Amino acid sequence: MSFKFRPSAVVCLLLLLLSWIRTGQAQNGTERSGDLSNAARPVTKVPSGVILVKGAWSASSDSSTPLPEGGTLINGVFENAYFGLRYALPKNWVEEYKGPPPSDSGRYVLAQLQADERSEAAHILITAQDTFFSQSPASDAIELAAYEKDNLQSDYKLQRPITQTKIAGRLFTFFAYESPVAQLHWYVLGTDIRCHTLEFVITGRDPNLLENLMLAMNRMELSAGASPAASRGASVFPVCIKGYAETDQLIRRADPVFTEHRFNPVPVRIIIDREGKIKHIHFLSAFPDQEQAIGDALRRWKFKPYLSHGHPVEVETGVMFGHGKDIGPDHETSPAVD
Amino acid sequence: MGRTIKLASILGLAILFFAGVAFTQNYGGSNGAGRHRRGDRSPANGPYPVAAGVVDPGVQTDNRNAGGTLIDPANDPNGFTSFFSDGLARFQEVESVSGGANNGLGPRFNLNQCSGCHAQPAIGGSSAASNPQFQAISDGMVSGTTNSIPSFIAADGPTREVRFPFFFNSNGSPNLNSPNGGVEDVFTVSGRPDAGSCNVSQPNFAAAQAANNIIFRIPTPTFGAGLIENLDDSTLLKNQAANLQNNFGVAGTFNHNGNDGTISRFGWKAQNKSLQIFAGEAYNVEMGISNMLFPQERPLPGEEQGVGLPPNCMNLSGKGYPEDTSNPNASPNAAVLDDVSAFANFMRFLAPPQPGAVVLNGQAVSSTSISNGSALFRSIGCATCHNPSPGTTQASNFVPALSNVPVLAYSDLEIHHMGSGLADNVSQGGAGGDQFRTAPLWGLGQRVYFLHDGRTSNLVTAIQAHASHGSEATGVEQNFFALTPRQQQDLLNFLRSL
Repeated sequence: MSFKFRPSAVVCLLLLLLSWIRTGQAQNGTERSGDLSNAARPVTKVPSGVILVKGAWSASSDSSTPLPEGGTLINGVFENAYFGLRYALPKNWVEEYKGPPPSDSGRYVLAQLQADERSEAAHILITAQDTFFSQSPASDAIELAAYEKDNLQSDYKLQRPITQTKIAGRLFTFFAYESPVAQLHWYVLGTDIRCHTLEFVITGRDPNLLENLMLAMNRMELSAGASPAASRGASVFPVCIKGYAETDQLIRRADPVFTEHRFNPVPVRIIIDREGKIKHIHFLSAFPDQEQAIGDALRRWKFKPYLSHGHPVEVETGVMFGHGKDIGPDHETSPAVD
Repeated sequence: MGRTIKLASILGLAILFFAGVAFTQNYGGSNGAGRHRRGDRSPANGPYPVAAGVVDPGVQTDNRNAGGTLIDPANDPNGFTSFFSDGLARFQEVESVSGGANNGLGPRFNLNQCSGCHAQPAIGGSSAASNPQFQAISDGMVSGTTNSIPSFIAADGPTREVRFPFFFNSNGSPNLNSPNGGVEDVFTVSGRPDAGSCNVSQPNFAAAQAANNIIFRIPTPTFGAGLIENLDDSTLLKNQAANLQNNFGVAGTFNHNGNDGTISRFGWKAQNKSLQIFAGEAYNVEMGISNMLFPQERPLPGEEQGVGLPPNCMNLSGKGYPEDTSNPNASPNAAVLDDVSAFANFMRFLAPPQPGAVVLNGQAVSSTSISNGSALFRSIGCATCHNPSPGTTQASNFVPALSNVPVLAYSDLEIHHMGSGLADNVSQGGAGGDQFRTAPLWGLGQRVYFLHDGRTSNLVTAIQAHASHGSEATGVEQNFFALTPRQQQDLLNFLRSL
């Protein structure tokens, strides 16, 4: 047998050797030595005050499409691209603590605002409740205000009946109530944007202060895209339709194949492009394995193009998965229907 | 020429390969491309201050029937009164490794007696003011040769269970991609005269502390647990639906039992379905005693992923497994049960403590202050989660005292996001690292330590801890801060009346 020198073979061998060493290092680096580590000094520490291990949480398929919970407060201005909202806060107002992630009933805490150093006894809570996953019977701001008013507990007294008022050129539903024992007042203002009821809840002891805060809301800017007409398709925003995936507009459907059997509801908001394909997926509350399975399935869905004034437009809707109805990996996906 | 091209191609592939490995390692490619998870929060700011002079009235010492039973012996058609007494007695038994009256302890454990942890203000409760774990060596419970008292176990601190949120790398750093969260028992039986040659070490608590990779839990009180167990899921769901549309920013969801999908409700994260499971898991995890629900000896989480427990630490009682079984030949009837069932019965029949009068700075607090505090508690939103009565129990097949009873637990039994300030980065069932069950508040007036880790014995501090980044309770906290000092004091007085 003759031996012939081949540089490529030597390089391959070297690479294999390097790869083996590297793999070994990586394995050592991540080896689970568990709870009996005898290392005297750790190289790194677990950061304090950070939520690292999350349960069902919000996530999306891309980072460029605005999300309802994606507002920011910079230099005293709260902006939320999803709702087309720009709200210059009263002077020295801040958000000390961010809100929780979206709920599995479609509720968002967008901002919790208050005067810096808590110098004024009032605060503003901005929330959004979508109509896709809401568990209340209300389908818009007026109905939601009526529902809240009708379900006020006996500790509260209605202070101002439901009316409609214009703020920043936009129609808001308004009502107010108070707690006589706490001597606190709640001013509730709601408006509808993209199948969500956006609510501003101003709370404090002094009604005059609350009135002023309400007046200051006139500095708020809501883009034309967030107008009521938007939900009918006359906007750069998608037209939003509750239950759209349950209509015969859906022409091809695939069920997710889950790897874990879980029992949490998984609300998913989707945007369908002009050709009927899903272009954006927003998981309000899901575990990573659920995101993977649902995302894989949704990317196979196909809708008929939605026409507005004869032109195809994008559609936004919500689909609920989970609730323990889904079957694990043995489940056969339903056949695609074209 | 051809050879040069081949060589260049191979080198190019090699560079790409290593670049890919480096990229994956540096940027966490395991999370998957195309997924963008939101909601990471920066550390919390300081707590909301309360007005000067507003104080926690402290632990109330009047008789509130803590530790009593809800069974009326005159209306006990199934004869469970004796089962309560039997469970109470077993709850106080001191466990040995072998050769004693009650065997099976270890090889790892947190204490050798249920009632040592569930002690305040009566047997079945939470952590007492002084921690019996601190005396483990001096009392002869563990060997001082093989065990040491960790620095976080203090004589005047809470009784503690320990968990490491993450596994360690071999270099001693926590591996943030490898969640652990299992219980790391404080003590071992090694060196005890009844433990043979078993030789296992305590976890390296000092290393865990140095890596900030350690969290604590204190015992949950079990008063009224039978009423909570007997709430139907539909009742809880109805209660949830009624509370969702609030103006405080509170949502909430339920943890579920992984097998049948029904609502689980016991433990700090509502991870346990029933009192039987709760007792069986505690017997195995906290005391190292295998039983009919958890038949295997339990290694530490790291050992479980390796080779398990060493052979000389197995079957230390010499009687085989499970160490706790039923006793078919025993009498009276209650004695036939296994310990776990007896514990479950004891907790099931423990009455919830009754509200009582409050003493503040040696003076009796007026009933007006307490009733004001109660109304304030509801008005500012505390009751959205700490629901005074989440419902009425279903019919019970045990005792009439568990049937059709309003459950005044001050809890919705849901899990809520409690923010970065309280997050322990331990996931249990469907609950994530920042989600906790709304702690029932009945009996709170006589509690010493608060919150899941017992970090404070000051009720004011416990309330302040409810606000942080990502917490559902921040809006309610803002309302509490907006109250007058008198109102804040009324609310604290009310809480200590429970």
